[in-house]
Amino acid sequence: MTATSHRGSPGAPSQSGGTPGHKQATGSVRSRTPGPGPYPWAMAGSITVAVLGSALSLNGVLRGWAWFMPLITTVVVVALTLAVLRALRAQPLIATLGSFAALAGVLSFIFCRQDSLAGFIPTTGTFTAVGRLIKRAAETVVSESAPVAPNAGIVFVVCACLGLLVILIDALAVPLSMPAASGIGLLAVMVVPATIKPQSVGVAGFIGAAVGYLLILGCSHWFAPDARLQSGAARGVGQFRRSVVTGGLALALTMVVPLAIPGFETGTFPQGSRLSPWGTSNGLNPMITLGNSLRSPVGSGRITYATSSSSPLYLRSVTIDHFDGETWAPDDRAAERRVGADRIETGYAVQGEVVNAVTSVNAGLFTSPYLPAPFAPASVNGLNGRWTWDPATLSIMSTETTTRAQRYVVFSAAPKVTAQSLAQATAVPQGIPEDFLRIPGNLPDIVRQTADSVTASANTNYGKALALQKYLRSGEFTYSLQAPVQNGYDGNGLSVLADFLAVKSGYCVHFSSAMAVMARAEGIPSRIAVGYAPGRLTGESVALVGQGSFPEYEVDARDAHAWPELYFEGLGWVPFEPTPSRGVVPEYATESSVPGNLSTNADEKEVLTTPAPATPAPVPLPGVDTPAGGSASVNPLPAIGAAAGGVLLLVGFLWSPRLSRSVLRRRRLNRKPVDDAETILPGYKDPAPELAWAELQDLATDYGLPSTPSETPRHFSARLRSSTALGDANGIDDAAHNAVASLTSDFERQRYGRPAVASQAAASRIAVVREALRNNARWLVRFRADWLPPSMMHRWVHALGAPFRALGAFMKSVGWAVARVWRTVRGLLPQRR
Amino acid sequence: MESKRQLSVEPTPLQGEAYSAAPRDGAALNGHKPQLMDAERFHDASERILNSINTVIDGKADAAKLALTVLLAQGHLLLEDVPGVGKTLLAKTLARTVDCTVSRIQFTPDLLPSDVTGVSIYNQSSRQFEFRPGAVFANIVIGDEINRASAKTQSALLECMEEHQVTVDGHSYQLGLPFMVVATQNPIEMEGTYPLPEAQRDRFMARISMGYPDKEAEIEMLETHQASSPLVKVTPVVTASDVAAMIATVQQVYVSTAIKEYTVAIGRATRDSARLRLGASPRSLLQLLRAAKATAALDGRDFVLPDDVVDVAESVLAHRIILDRKAASSGDTPQSILRGILASLPVAQEPPGAWRRDRHTA
Repeated sequence: MTATSHRGSPGAPSQSGGTPGHKQATGSVRSRTPGPGPYPWAMAGSITVAVLGSALSLNGVLRGWAWFMPLITTVVVVALTLAVLRALRAQPLIATLGSFAALAGVLSFIFCRQDSLAGFIPTTGTFTAVGRLIKRAAETVVSESAPVAPNAGIVFVVCACLGLLVILIDALAVPLSMPAASGIGLLAVMVVPATIKPQSVGVAGFIGAAVGYLLILGCSHWFAPDARLQSGAARGVGQFRRSVVTGGLALALTMVVPLAIPGFETGTFPQGSRLSPWGTSNGLNPMITLGNSLRSPVGSGRITYATSSSSPLYLRSVTIDHFDGETWAPDDRAAERRVGADRIETGYAVQGEVVNAVTSVNAGLFTSPYLPAPFAPASVNGLNGRWTWDPATLSIMSTETTTRAQRYVVFSAAPKVTAQSLAQATAVPQGIPEDFLRIPGNLPDIVRQTADSVTASANTNYGKALALQKYLRSGEFTYSLQAPVQNGYDGNGLSVLADFLAVKSGYCVHFSSAMAVMARAEGIPSRIAVGYAPGRLTGESVALVGQGSFPEYEVDARDAHAWPELYFEGLGWVPFEPTPSRGVVPEYATESSVPGNLSTNADEKEVLTTPAPATPAPVPLPGVDTPAGGSASVNPLPAIGAAAGGVLLLVGFLWSPRLSRSVLRRRRLNRKPVDDAETILPGYKDPAPELAWAELQDLATDYGLPSTPSETPRHFSARLRSSTALGDANGIDDAAHNAVASLTSDFERQRYGRPAVASQAAASRIAVVREALRNNARWLVRFRADWLPPSMMHRWVHALGAPFRALGAFMKSVGWAVARVWRTVRGLLPQRR
Repeated sequence: MESKRQLSVEPTPLQGEAYSAAPRDGAALNGHKPQLMDAERFHDASERILNSINTVIDGKADAAKLALTVLLAQGHLLLEDVPGVGKTLLAKTLARTVDCTVSRIQFTPDLLPSDVTGVSIYNQSSRQFEFRPGAVFANIVIGDEINRASAKTQSALLECMEEHQVTVDGHSYQLGLPFMVVATQNPIEMEGTYPLPEAQRDRFMARISMGYPDKEAEIEMLETHQASSPLVKVTPVVTASDVAAMIATVQQVYVSTAIKEYTVAIGRATRDSARLRLGASPRSLLQLLRAAKATAALDGRDFVLPDDVVDVAESVLAHRIILDRKAASSGDTPQSILRGILASLPVAQEPPGAWRRDRHTA
């Protein structure tokens, strides 16, 4: 009887324990008042607040707030449907089914209006559209890193999931009377940002979820439709105060505890990484994986190469030239690609001297559809499989095979570019696709303004390019792998670019895209090349065909790099290096090569020559920098504090079973007896013997003699006394035996006898029994009883299992309900003779 | 000898109207309300009775105690076992130990109901019908070999056992207190037996199977019972009024809600059991609780423990429940099923949240 009143509610902060039978009666009387009253509305409101509150934390997983409006609509509609159905006193199953229908309706209305009947009734077309949306969402999840653009697919999935969550929470809280379990659903929402966002859930999301959860608990406690959740105590000030104190304490603890545990703030996954089972880098979009490659603590995908080139060699995989859309991706131009990499033509005329180089590359385990090759490849030999190249970008790719285990030799030919030749290349670019000049339509203002102000003093394309590079390499900008992640603009795209120009901190993707986009804004054809910065010497040497022996270099994921290529008529595509501390600035783009008339701004020059002291980013030598250096400087004081806190917490954690056990014991035994005879009502039973008995049972459980439910107290006592655990009856442990006997008879008298108040203190007797049990136990048993008391552990395990039991009960009841409905339906069907 | 004892029924006021006018349950022995007995005297009296029985029947202390329990709980006792293990001896010893009226009915196949209850006969001198009380008008009625009589004769006991009265020719005649039927029977598989109908069995508070005595007890029995019947030496050790006082004391034993719940839970479990065709009736639960009260009193307590209920549950319930055919064929017995139920039923030692009880009770 009392067991059911506790079902599913462990952990509810406002729950205040056991329910005496006579008080339950008053609860059930109240529940017979006609009409559900404000309960459904209050509950629906609480659930809405909880779900939307926890959804706040999704900002950062999804970019911006555009997704929040559809979400509000969905959640409110579903909750409102539930409230209306509950207010009409519909069957619980009907209410739940109705809310499912409402969810389907509102989702159809928001996302597939054209495909639905009357705008909200799902049809087969709707399902096709939903399939499309889900596919889109899946693509987003697989290929993009947070924050992702709130496209229809992902917003649809979010809305559908949270709509289902509303239904789930409602089902848990109302018909199943397990409001505490509804926290699991909210937790499920918050797990997503907690794992994906580096700053974890965030204060707003956490507070929103916590407030909503407390509201749900309070609501179900206040309006409990039957006596099951009523603690019996009248809804009074005391109850409210208790609830507030408990809730406040729990909240404060959750705020304080993470501060003390090291590693709690940084989330489970390395910053900015995606939870993707398809490996860290699938090479589909190098721009996206670049940041993660740079941040990966161990370099993967090692490539070795040897080159005859005298200048540091950039290996180039792919270019990006479409700056439209939320996410930039390489344009494969499948239609224009040509087969066979043994003869590659640049497609534009080059004046002047051409520098030839031979490079032998061993791709090893590096896996990508794009072939890393030095610019500009003239022919590639030794490749396996079918490879195609794009005349416009000279990127070499294969749709059938990958670079894995490829060993090939690239003959490359690039025009010798000097500052003079660049300064003379003032002709209007011709003979290249318009793609490289197209300025994206939604170019943020800050990009154009910055470009204009930076290049204001330059009058040639070369001057503008240099000005842009100089601006980006200036002390204003810092190289940081973490800043974009922390500020939520990790990735690429125009909005990311705008963020980067405002924050002025990022890595090669941001620097290169900034330069490329600003160059286009200034009329210079540009594209972003993605590949590898010059690598490190391995110490070995490789013989190149007809060229002699050359030192071998290696690059891996940590050397991944992106740089802009600008087109100059007569010189072709010329790489620049705007990223500070990465790669090697080409001679033609170095400060010394800048003609004096181009750099008229003296301040700017000063800024450039003196490294900014405030810049935390390290300035490692080209080719030997490690991205891990960004987080190298750590203030030791918080670390020590955190470590101390961690140790303290660990100790507390290990101590907690023992502590809670002894607190429980003290609470049971050190009760003040009721002295005031006038307050004693007829039928009052002194709880002390019962508490002492509970303690005795727990003691026996701790020392390996648990009582069974079907055992009578007397039987249990006899079993305890006849066991070896309590020692010799007539020897030194006689006192313990007597104590057990008297505790038993006290308990029996209290529980089964006539109501009486007289009882002697049990603490001393319990102490005697405990001493005897300790003395007769082996050390292992003693240790367990002290530090991991089974009685306590059982309780905790029981409490932990509550949600699962509740789920089981829920499934069972659903099964029964379905069976009942089916029987009814079958009864209604015409009988076949 | 039996007839002489039966004569002692005569002095008690038996004439018609006086019976029906007597208070129903008021322990109307000799017209005054019986005194309660304090614990010490109760203990003495019960010890005397048990010792007396134990001198006659060796090695059957449990059966003796249960017989006394049933007497004090105002129930009726059914002794069932194979012939020759001392059923009748136990019944007679119990009857003799208490100084009260005893009658004995030997149930034979030709016994008639009126032989049991009594009959109205025409008095020539007064020219009217007079009620001639039957054998049941005694404090302790020994019904020997009860299942050798036909069902209709057995049924004659129904009213007097349950309602402590006899109705003949429209007149109800109250029986005395204490009133106890101690019946013996052979197992129903024995030849020439009529099984007791369920209604009849339900009226017996407890059924005891005597069982064979152990080796030492059997040897001693052979020694002591050689020369003469040990029954001869038995003298009454308590008076009927003592017994009435003891019964009244037993009635005062306190039964807590927890015990009532436990008793009801046992009953419900037998009814819900898939292996039982017939579970325990409400009357059986009432009798179970009464027997438990008597057990508690015999143990020197003034409140019932779950142990008391468990102690008597098998004796009180086993003969009332009927096994499912499948269970019977699979070798289950009512006893084994009851044991299983008792082993799985929670006693509710610790109500949930008991350790936080102070919140609510303070």
